Parts: sequence; structure tokens; C-alpha cells
Amino acid sequence: MTPRDRILLVDDEVAIQRSVGPLLRSHGYDVDVAGTGADALKQFAADPPGLIVLDLGLPDMDGTDVCRRIRLASDVPIIVLSARGAEGDKVKALDLGADDYVAKPFGPAELLARIRVALRRVATQPHEDSGQLVAGDLTIDYDRRRVLRQGAEIRLTPKEFELLTLLARQHDRVLTHRAILKAIWGGNAVEQPEHLWTLVAQLRKKIEVDPAHPRYLRSEPWVGYRFATGSPEDL
Amino acid sequence: MIANPTIVALALLLVVLVVAARAARWVAVVISVLAMLAFNFFFLPPVGTFTIADPQNWVVLFTFLAVSLAASHLSAVARSRTDEAVVRRDELARLFDLSRDVLVITSGAEAIPMLARSIAQRFDLEFVAIALPRGPEWDVYEGGAASVAIDRKHLSDAFAAARAVLEFDAYARTYAGHRTIDVDGRAVRLVPLRVGTAPSGILAASGRPIEAGTLDALGGVVALAIERATFLEERKAGELARQGDALKTALLASVGHDLRTPLTAIQIAAANIQSPHLTDADRRDQSELILGEVERLNRLFQNILEMARIDAGAVAAEFRPVHPSELVAAARAQVEQALRSHTVHVNVDRDEPVRLDPRLTAAALAQVLENAARYTPAGASITVHASATEEGMKVSVKDEGLGIAAADLPHLFDRFYRGEAARARAGGTGMGLWIARGLLAAERGRVWAENDPGGGARFTIVVPPAQAVAEAGATRS
Repeated sequence: MTPRDRILLVDDEVAIQRSVGPLLRSHGYDVDVAGTGADALKQFAADPPGLIVLDLGLPDMDGTDVCRRIRLASDVPIIVLSARGAEGDKVKALDLGADDYVAKPFGPAELLARIRVALRRVATQPHEDSGQLVAGDLTIDYDRRRVLRQGAEIRLTPKEFELLTLLARQHDRVLTHRAILKAIWGGNAVEQPEHLWTLVAQLRKKIEVDPAHPRYLRSEPWVGYRFATGSPEDL
Repeated sequence: MIANPTIVALALLLVVLVVAARAARWVAVVISVLAMLAFNFFFLPPVGTFTIADPQNWVVLFTFLAVSLAASHLSAVARSRTDEAVVRRDELARLFDLSRDVLVITSGAEAIPMLARSIAQRFDLEFVAIALPRGPEWDVYEGGAASVAIDRKHLSDAFAAARAVLEFDAYARTYAGHRTIDVDGRAVRLVPLRVGTAPSGILAASGRPIEAGTLDALGGVVALAIERATFLEERKAGELARQGDALKTALLASVGHDLRTPLTAIQIAAANIQSPHLTDADRRDQSELILGEVERLNRLFQNILEMARIDAGAVAAEFRPVHPSELVAAARAQVEQALRSHTVHVNVDRDEPVRLDPRLTAAALAQVLENAARYTPAGASITVHASATEEGMKVSVKDEGLGIAAADLPHLFDRFYRGEAARARAGGTGMGLWIARGLLAAERGRVWAENDPGGGARFTIVVPPAQAVAEAGATRS
């Protein structure tokens, strides 16, 4: 039996602490609560949790700052809570290393799904050492630069393969448009997202069964893309 | 015996000149002729008759008449010039006064009627109308004591005629565009309002005769005044639209967070209650959480409504006698949820009834209490001191917080203003204190904030008794 995952919930709103805490506990997680950024950093240093749920609006410091400082020390999954519409904050947090975000107001299913996905990413990391990622009917062989669907090889251009590997190596994590553009086309291309749209459309045609409803290459509106390894129903 | 007729003639001429300088022209002419006849009758031989013996005296007589008539004429001309100059100066002064009135006139529906009244007053006219074309119809704004029904057809005709000749008039300094019409035996002058060479309406005037040049200048001043009023109106409308937009943005920004947090908590707590793994105590806790958050949403909703009422000027005070203790209790009940984690001490001096609006006062006090609870740490105490004083109901709320930063003090009651420290905190919309002030203003109450010398902030509300309000209203009107 694996030890229970411990989640650090960072939010200054008592109402969120009192509702999200019991929600996570009743789904089998241990929960620690921090009301300020300083408290969160202290608890993180004392006893690193398995996952952090971090509200961006904290009384003492900027949530994105907390995110950056934790990322310097650890690769622990961070899920950011932000106001719907505050895309700028979200993108900033993701660029600083957060894994995912949930916009307030959110429902329990949404938060739990994001937590599951983020924890799975950590759990499946050993796969990458073998130079291969298997997700659903898709197999990505990093070393041989091959992609197979149900055993049949899919031919990809070098750019397409580069994009797929970038997302797959950090599967289940949202990569911002900016981060992807910079990684594939270099720093000068970050203001030209149309390159990315075209490439994503090409790649979806090749790897997705239904490119209009992608299972693997998911869009995060206004924010970026993620490579999803879970079942199609998972968020 | 007076012998020299020349001396007599000169003396009489002096009389004629004095009369000519003072009296009307015809009087001067009559006096001249009378003086000539008297000179002939009494002084020219044969004395006592109108006959003249010496033909040389005919020359003297006619010279006398010619000189006295010429003198009367010259003096009359000089005097009429003077009179004209006085009239001109008078009309210029009136025009100047009117242009000063124009600068005072602001925009709004009353601007043009006010202008018509100003013209009637400044130019002592019985009737003034400013007629502006609106499609085929005319908007007519009247001023002056008399009321004259001008046929719209006259206005349209005058306007069409003015359009044709105005350019010529402007260059040649003629007044062909002016007309005089007769309405029920009253002469009404119609003068085009012109800006440059285009007519923008008609000015109708009746009563005292006014010189055409002055009327023309008046038409120019009125046209400029109307243009100015229209411009001000447009600018005001633009400003209002901008303010409305800014307000909406600020409202959305400030309400956004206060809406999201309770909604999330309610959604999750409701799901928790459905979960089979929860203990009874936890379940109770979750349902309490939901009730509390619903209460918070309700407060927010109430605040938005109050704000809309204050904005619309729809807060009406209803007065009845209220005891200070009753008021404090009502206010506390409204924000029970927010005060739960604080200790509230209440002191009441002179618990005598004061006539005021209990709903407005209690709602304002509740806002102040909620504010105190929000910005002081949990467990801290809040002291409420209420009393009936000579100046009315006085309630002060003192907290044990950090006090108010000097930079925040002047803006504390501004809408959506949140203090330096408050902005870092999650909750709060910056509406509460603005609402408190708005509600109190409807019953002539005041609220202000200061730092207590002993630490913490002190908010004071004073509401004058309603009778005093009525008296103040009476002396003002």
C-alpha cells in the first residue's frame, strides 16, 4: 500500500480552508493548511508535501512569488487557484513552474481531477527513464524518434516531433503558449502564436482519432496546451 | 427810448439759442418766428405795426430769422447725436450684461429659457422668444411678461428669408434679414440668430424699440450662447458615460472576488455534505459554512442594491423615535456573522429616544461595525458607545486594530477605495463605508473616522433629530 498523498492547501480564506480541507480528506488525502505565503514556505521546508494547492491572492506576498520559490527547491506539483478571467496571473504562475490551475469559482470534481492528474504525472515519471511514453493507444519512443498508434507508425515532421516530445515529457502539465514558442522557435517567436496554432493542428490530424475533440493534445483556452495521459473523460 | 435795433436783435437771438439748445426743434422754430415778429412789431419803425418803413430793416429782419433758424437746426442735430450716443451706450451696456449672463448659464433643459428671460430683463422687453428649428417644427422658448403666439409660418418664412440674405447682410452690414410682423396689434421683430453666415434660429422681440444693429448683435450673442450650451451638454453627457463605465469596471473588479470565494465554498461544502464518509459533526460544520457564506452573498447583494439606491437618489428617510440601545442592537444583528469572532462591548449613555430613520442609521452603523471586524484581528474587541445628545444620536465605534494610515484617512469614504493594508487582504469591496455615508446623508447624518490617541481607529456617526432637520430645511428655503 502506498502512503497517503499529503496536500498543502494555501489560501487565506477561512471558507475555502473549511470546505476544501474536508473535501480532500474525504477523498483520501492528508491535508495541511497555510493561511499566508510565509507560512506555506515554512511548512514546505519543514515537511515537503506531495502536492500544493496555492491561491494566488495571499495577504502577505504574491502567490506567483511563492510558486517561484518552491520551484527553486522542488519539483512538487503545484495547482494554482485563481480568479476566472485573471489570465495574466495564471500564465505567470504556469511560466514560473506551476503545473496547472483551477479558476474560482470551481466545483469539487474539477479540483479533484486536476489533483489526480498532477499526482499521476509524478507517479509515472519512471517511464521516461526507459525512453518511452505510453498513453492510451499512443506510444512515443523518444530515443528512436518514433510515434506509434496501435502499433502502426505515424510519420511526423521534425518540428511536429519536437512539439510532441516537449509536451509529452511534461505530460499532464499545462505549458503556456509563450513557453512552447520559446522552446521550439526561440525567444523571437513568442509574439507569433500563429506558428503554434498551425503546428498543433497538423499534429492533431496525425495523432488524434478525432482532431476536433482531441484526447491527447488538449487546449487550455488563452493559456496554453497540455499532453493528457488520462482517459478522455478526465479533465 | 431804446434806439439801437441791433442790440435788441442780438438779445433776442440769445433767447432763441437758449431755447434751441434745450427744447425740441419745432419749439425752437416757433420761438424764432415769434422773436422775428416781436422784433418787427416792437422795435422796427414804425413801432406798433408789422409794417417796415426803412427797406434796410428788411435785411436786418431776415438775417435775424435765418440765423435763429440755423442755430435751432444745429443745436437739434447736436442734441440728437448725443441722445443717439447715450442710447448706443445703454444698449452696449445691456449687451455686455447679457454676455455675462450667458457665461453664467450652464447646460441643461433650463439653459435656453433662462437665456430668453435674461434678454427680456436686460433689454426691458415685454416679450422675447428664441425659436430653434427642429425638423419642420419649431422649439420656442419665451421670456418676458407678455406672451405672444407667433405663427410658425412666420418663423419659417423669416428663417428662409434670412438664409437667403444673411451672407450679404454680414458683408454689407445691412439688416435685410430682419422682419417686423404684426401679431394682435403688437409689432414683433424677427431677427435671425447667426453664427458666421448661417442662421441657426430666430429671435423674436417686442416691446421697446431697439436699433437694428443692436438687435443683430443680440442675435449673434444668442446664437453663441446656444452653441455654448449645446457644447456643454455634449461634454457633460460624455463625462457621465465615462464615469458610468469606470464605475462598472470598479464594481466588477471589487465584487468579483467577494462573489467567487463564497460560491466556491458553497459548491464544495454542498458536495461534502453528500459524501458518505463525513461524520455528523463535520456535516453540521459544512452546513453552517454554507449558511454563513450564503449570508455573505446576501450582504454583498444588499450592498449592491443600497449602492444603486444611493446613486439613483432613491433613499428616502422615514422618521420615528428610536432608542440608542435599540439601534445598536439592530445594527449588530445585521452583521452577526462578521462580528462572531470579535468581542463587542456596548455602552449607552442617556438611552432616550431620538427621532431619526432607524433603518438607514442601523444599516450605516452595521457597515461601520463590519468594517471594524474586518480590519482587526479575530478575538480583538470592538467598543460601541451610543448616546442621545443635544446634536442628536451619536454612536462611536472604536476598535483595537492598527488604526488608519494617514494616506488613507481622506479617502476612507470614497467608493471602492480600499486602504493600503486592506488591498493586500482578500475580502472587502470598498463599498461599505461609502454606503454608510450615503445612507446617513439621506437623513442629514454624518460619519467620520479618526485614530484614537490610545491606538486603534474610531468611527463616529452623528444623526441630528428629525425636527432639527425640518427647521434647517425651512430656513434654507
